[in-house]
Amino acid sequence: MSSHYEPKSAFGRFIHELEETVIAIILGAMVIVTFVNVVLRYGFNTGFIWGLEVVTFLFAWLVLFGVSYAVKTTAHLGVDAITNLVSPAARRALALLAAAICLAYAFLLLKGAWDYWANFANLPQTTGRWFPTGLEEMKRTSYRGWYEVVDIPFPEWLRWIQPIMNEGEDYEKLPRFIPYFILPFGCALLLFRFVQVTLRIWKGEAESLIVSHEAEDAVEDVAHMNREG
Amino acid sequence: MEVAILFAMVIGLMLIGVPIAISLGFSSTIFLLVLSDTSLASIAQSFFQAMAGHYTLLAIPFFILASSFMSTGGVARRIIRFSIALVGHFPGGLAIAGVFACMLFAALSGSSPATVVAIGSIVIAGMRQVGYSKDFAAGVIANAGTLGILIPPSIVMVVYASATDVSVGRMFLAGVIPGLLAGTMLMVTIYVIAKFRNLPKGEWKGWREVFEAGSEAGWGLFLIVIILGGIYGGIFTPTEAAAVAAVYAFLIASFVYRDMGPLAGKNGAPNLALWQKPIALVTAFVHRDTKDTLFEAGKLTITLMFIIANALILKHVLTDEQIPQSIAGMMLDAGFGPVMFLVIVNVILLIGGQFMEPSGLIVIVAPLVFPIAIELGIDPIHLGIIMVVNMEIGMITPPVGLNLFVTSGVAGMPMMRVVRAALPFLGVLFVFLIMVTYIPWLSTFLPTTFMGPEIIVR
Amino acid sequence: ACEGDEIVIKFSHVTNSDKHPKGIAASLLMERVNAEMNGKACMEVFPNSTLYNDDQVLEAMLQGDVQLAAPSLSKFEQFTKQFRIFDLPFMFRNIEAVDAFQNSETGQAMKESMVRRGLLGLEFWHNGMKQMSANKPLISPSDAAGLKFRVQPSDVIKAQMEAIGVSPQPMAFSEVYGALQTGVVDGQENTWSNIYGQKFFEVQDGITETNHGIIDYMVVTSVDWWESLPEDVSSQLRTILNEVTVERNAAVGQVDADARQAVLDAGATIRELTPEQRQEWVDAMKPVWEQFKDDVGQENIDAAQAINASM
Ligand code: NA
Ligand code: NA
Repeated sequence: MSSHYEPKSAFGRFIHELEETVIAIILGAMVIVTFVNVVLRYGFNTGFIWGLEVVTFLFAWLVLFGVSYAVKTTAHLGVDAITNLVSPAARRALALLAAAICLAYAFLLLKGAWDYWANFANLPQTTGRWFPTGLEEMKRTSYRGWYEVVDIPFPEWLRWIQPIMNEGEDYEKLPRFIPYFILPFGCALLLFRFVQVTLRIWKGEAESLIVSHEAEDAVEDVAHMNREG
Repeated sequence: MEVAILFAMVIGLMLIGVPIAISLGFSSTIFLLVLSDTSLASIAQSFFQAMAGHYTLLAIPFFILASSFMSTGGVARRIIRFSIALVGHFPGGLAIAGVFACMLFAALSGSSPATVVAIGSIVIAGMRQVGYSKDFAAGVIANAGTLGILIPPSIVMVVYASATDVSVGRMFLAGVIPGLLAGTMLMVTIYVIAKFRNLPKGEWKGWREVFEAGSEAGWGLFLIVIILGGIYGGIFTPTEAAAVAAVYAFLIASFVYRDMGPLAGKNGAPNLALWQKPIALVTAFVHRDTKDTLFEAGKLTITLMFIIANALILKHVLTDEQIPQSIAGMMLDAGFGPVMFLVIVNVILLIGGQFMEPSGLIVIVAPLVFPIAIELGIDPIHLGIIMVVNMEIGMITPPVGLNLFVTSGVAGMPMMRVVRAALPFLGVLFVFLIMVTYIPWLSTFLPTTFMGPEIIVR
Repeated sequence: ACEGDEIVIKFSHVTNSDKHPKGIAASLLMERVNAEMNGKACMEVFPNSTLYNDDQVLEAMLQGDVQLAAPSLSKFEQFTKQFRIFDLPFMFRNIEAVDAFQNSETGQAMKESMVRRGLLGLEFWHNGMKQMSANKPLISPSDAAGLKFRVQPSDVIKAQMEAIGVSPQPMAFSEVYGALQTGVVDGQENTWSNIYGQKFFEVQDGITETNHGIIDYMVVTSVDWWESLPEDVSSQLRTILNEVTVERNAAVGQVDADARQAVLDAGATIRELTPEQRQEWVDAMKPVWEQFKDDVGQENIDAAQAINASM
């Protein structure tokens, strides 16, 4: 029921199941942390002060991890009024043009995501305004591995990264490069999925990048009740 | 000028089949790179902060999840039975019950398409069985479903509150009277049509049925008390209310109604009682149905937030180029008063609503018109409700009308036929829009009474 | 707007542009830069968090996407823990003591203390002394015990609240009024300007004039950008900024007093404490100093106390 996408290989099925499970787990965790904090505050006058920040990061993880899944399963919303009017050949040309734009978008976003994340991980940003033309020479201010989040305490079992990332100084809070990692990761997945869908359109295995409406899947289960019998 | 090119580019990309989110994000990125010295890293930061930096938007996944649990878990079915028991015997009774059920479900759910799916999938079939035309049934539900975003809770109100920094709790209160009014107007219209065209009516099954159906539906409807009571009773914030609603809906669906999860009867077998399978207390949390519902809600959140995050990039462009200030200057110089201004806002939103998904549109338009409204002395809450009603209309007008899509799917009829079917009732919503626009009292009475006059900080 | 070859200076902040002390100062700075540096530089101010909030703005500054900002001093604790001195309760007797400390050698050195992290402090801007409020009268610290207070995210303020038995709650600023009104949280601490501007007094039992802490800001820029400026531009900018700072910091006492009076005029109760009552709060909160002594530096605490004593 979840989508029209049918993974072909055993590995594909595994990945598919993994993606859906991760999405479900992240959302479930967001609800539980928020709910527990309400109970603790109202019932016990206490609470995890880091709860809110954890949930907002999980929210970002949910969306950034999930956009590529939504590309794979053609779940993104769009307008098909025009593309439905034209001939199949023109439709294919438009779909390829749209795919090219999606590729360009994902590419630019990936460069931005890397540049944003890299310094937090003491890594070099790329040079170039539109296209990566190389790697920057690290300056004094390019090392931002010390930069911590606001409320989430640093987990003790991660202490071993301090010599690598923070010149041996102690972290009090979680360093930002950890929650921010989803940004380049999610954008790379997004680009990868757009490459795949572009190839599918090229080979004639797919027609477009969009669903015409978001509730298509949910609707299918009940539509039969209403079709002319 | 540049801004006109930007918007033309967004719409052009949408029309050739680029996903809405990417049309917004790609156009904005190109503009930032060409016109300003903003870096790509800053765009990635905006994107990340759309989720990590907007606490109020957190309500969106939670309300979507609560709604999913209620649709899957049999709440809608019980609400409909209750509605029919209560108003089904009037002329046009089943249609009126459909609207009433939409209003009740709207009070549990934050989304309009979700309301159409939950109620429409059952009611449209039911209406046809007792002799209504399919078009009439579809038209009624497509319209009544839009109440999902007007009657609190509402995802669109959450987005508006986040974009303008007004209080979500205030917006929710403001939607109550307009929501009841719009629902009543739709029901009265149906009643009049039914008298005139002699539409079928159900039979009165007595108060016993009303109470029985009511007490069954009561578990689900109690969520209204939890959400509103919790927010205004000082137990949780509106965002937290959404999470509590999701947990409650899960518990009701899995352990009380038992239409999903480990206690659901397979293949028509009756549902099990908890004492028959106490291990369900543990397994419900990891049951396949629970996972699927979480996943479906997650997927909907992802596609919606992808649009909102990219709309926020577009907002970044507008802010960076100081477009809101220049538009405000232009409008104030032109000497527009509040009346003319609101006409313009309505026109912009009605046109925008043809192409855009509501939340994304609010993210873009709210910062443009909000400063002017403040300047002209228009209450921000009133402005918010006007925007929501415009979004309702946008949802049942082509080419991008989420309720149209959903209704055509649910009713199994072509979209253009749904458009025609929805038209007479769309007229009602238009009248309603004019009323809401020029009678601020409808929106501001409850929030002002219970929360004091709106504070304007800016 | 900015012309072709002018140096663009974007200043992003989070308050309104005409009523809040920070917003007024930023607007004045913009006027003067655009008038006096026309042709060389131009400034655009983005108020009300329209571009970035306080946390994002420092990231954007390091990235080079914004040039000036004035976050509250707590935000710099992530860069240098020294800044925790400004959050320690009862560290400064009044805003004049804060001013004197900031202008002392120790204070001036703090502006340079984040250079290794890529930020350069230019000036301190005042808001005022913090007061306490709740949904019941607060006279002694024990009145606050068991209540929930909305706090700014800061370990020091969290510890200060826990020291008097208050449960600290983080919360989006836009939801604070509603949360105070409905009782999701019971109280808050803030300056008179903020209490008046956000109308918190409407939904609280009264305001207790504790003057227990301060809210101040630092105008910062990125080291990389600042060093890239031509000498004449940076020195003229620095001069204008300093004149604006002196002018607005001198006026802030009046803004503060006006806000206090406006709260009073609106019918709210203001509770003043006798020296003995105030001492109870000091005794309850001061142990927090010990906890953060190593971060702040004993010599800095001593310097602040010497200034207090001389006032
Ligand atoms: Na609703
Ligand atoms: Na539309």
